[in-house]
Amino acid sequence: MNNIFKNILIGLSAIRSNITRVALTSLGLTIGIFTVSIVTAGASSIDKEFEKSMDYYGNDKIYVSTWPWSFNFDWWKYRNRPRIKEEDLDYITQYSQYVTDVSIKKFTWIRSSYQNKASWLQVNGVYPSYGAMLSGTEVTNGRFFSENEWNLQRRVVIVGGTVRDGFFDGKDPIGKKIKIGGVTFEIIGELKKQGMGMVPGGTLDNLVIMPSSTFKRILTRWGFDELVLKTEPENLYKAKEEVGMIMRVARKLRPNQEDDFAVNSADAYQSQFDSIKIAITGMAFMVTGISLVVSAIGIMNVMFVSVRERTKEIGLRKAMGATNNNILVQFLSEAIAISIIGGVTGIILVKLMTVALASYTSFPIEFDLLLIFYTFMVCVFIGITSGILPARTAANLHPIDALRHE
Amino acid sequence: MPKLKKEIISIKSISKIYHLGNNVVKALDDVSISIYENDFISIMGPSGSGKSTLMNIIGCLDVPTKGTYKFHQALISEMNDSQLANIRNEKIGFVFQTFNLLPKLNALHNVEIPLIYSSLHRTKRTKRAKEVLKIVGLEDRMTHKPNELSGGQKQRVAIARALVNKPSIILADEPTGNLDSKSGLEILKFFDQLHKAGNTIIVVTHEKSIAKRAKRRVELFDGKITLDE
Repeated sequence: MNNIFKNILIGLSAIRSNITRVALTSLGLTIGIFTVSIVTAGASSIDKEFEKSMDYYGNDKIYVSTWPWSFNFDWWKYRNRPRIKEEDLDYITQYSQYVTDVSIKKFTWIRSSYQNKASWLQVNGVYPSYGAMLSGTEVTNGRFFSENEWNLQRRVVIVGGTVRDGFFDGKDPIGKKIKIGGVTFEIIGELKKQGMGMVPGGTLDNLVIMPSSTFKRILTRWGFDELVLKTEPENLYKAKEEVGMIMRVARKLRPNQEDDFAVNSADAYQSQFDSIKIAITGMAFMVTGISLVVSAIGIMNVMFVSVRERTKEIGLRKAMGATNNNILVQFLSEAIAISIIGGVTGIILVKLMTVALASYTSFPIEFDLLLIFYTFMVCVFIGITSGILPARTAANLHPIDALRHE
Repeated sequence: MPKLKKEIISIKSISKIYHLGNNVVKALDDVSISIYENDFISIMGPSGSGKSTLMNIIGCLDVPTKGTYKFHQALISEMNDSQLANIRNEKIGFVFQTFNLLPKLNALHNVEIPLIYSSLHRTKRTKRAKEVLKIVGLEDRMTHKPNELSGGQKQRVAIARALVNKPSIILADEPTGNLDSKSGLEILKFFDQLHKAGNTIIVVTHEKSIAKRAKRRVELFDGKITLDE
């Protein structure tokens, strides 16, 4: 064991005397490790963000909308679809056995202000039942509006988590009055902050929720309607199918007509997101794989040069009593060290990058110890595979031939 | 031959045969020789006479094609690579014509090389290396790299390196070949000293003057020993 350690030290000392060459050789690996780390870190961050967004939509919710949630949106096919009507809800409450709760969700963006501060807010008009259907968030301060307030079309709102900082400098917003589209509303509740999401609209907190009756009276000309239906998570697929059929009845569609509405749920995003994620990571791993192979070849090449340059040294060491294994360990540890130097530089670069990114954007990059460990193992593996051939060549040199080498 | 001395090396009718294409070259042809403790032997012969081959076999860098070679009763001719490496490490000290010091290591570290491959502890290693550098009179040059040393000094570092493991024999291959006559003489005097101190020395050379200093002269021609006196 002690002997192995000594030979490793000899191998490492070769690195010190050839710094430029080692730096250039390990650069390939640095780039490879850098790309793979950035991409996996990025992918896992995106994943986390996405999950948060999925919470926002909930795994027990069905959204009946005019258009499907899709990234390949065919405008010409969808443009003439009728809008969703609140009356469709009657059919669903009447016929559905899986849907447990329903609400309309009227949606628009409106310029809102408090004193001299103004901002665009997402405005949702919903039923009182929506308070119990919130997902990914909850009313943490104040309360949701009541049935009574809905009936009376009261001007009350529940605000999202960012409104407090945006309008009230972090102070309690309950009881404050804000202007939405020129109309004054009283804040009666506040939602828990959800953070950034990867859903249309970006942030999930920049919103106000009000009774749909009030929405209809004051903002009726803008926005889209959507039906929000709650079910049990395990019934989601059955419920979607059932709701689809009920909607066809409500729309009075003949069997040969296509649906002119869309039944959406979070899993539609999930599958699309998954395929994109697979494509991104697949590409990244291919690029990384190529760069790792190239850098392994580079290390192997340099190791062959190193063995050739030091043939005489190998002969001398053998004459002085070095065994084949001693020489093997010496050169193998040199190759592994070059590889680790490259990898560690890569990790340091990634770390610097994440620190820099974190201070410029609020988009968090995941950077965990496990990743460092994997990188390290990959480096050791590359060092061994690229070093074994040159090291074996060195170890099997005949001492007399090696000593005669000029 | 004074038989009361202890026999270190016993070589019995060894041959070394190389096949170069269809030609069969007998570098050594049925050579027998015994080497005793505290011998000071010179091996002479023209180039191609087989003296280098004999030297390599005695130094356990190579094994004979035929015949037996015993070193302290151990049968060298049947050993594998790592066993040979151990014998070289513990029993044999090499001195080369071209010194063969590692240019990036200082004198002390060069002398330490054989000890690295033995299982000696680091502190003892440095202590022993310093001791032998003192013997060769270079205690004030320990941190110098080979390019900061004169030819004679380099060869003395090389001799220190050969001595560091307290070998049974010292094998010197043209030790003065790359030195001017003055430092060459210095090295030869040093060999005399080592011999007086009880070391066994084998010098391969083609210079008569050097061969004369040895107590026993061996001459080779065409792979056979033609003189042993």
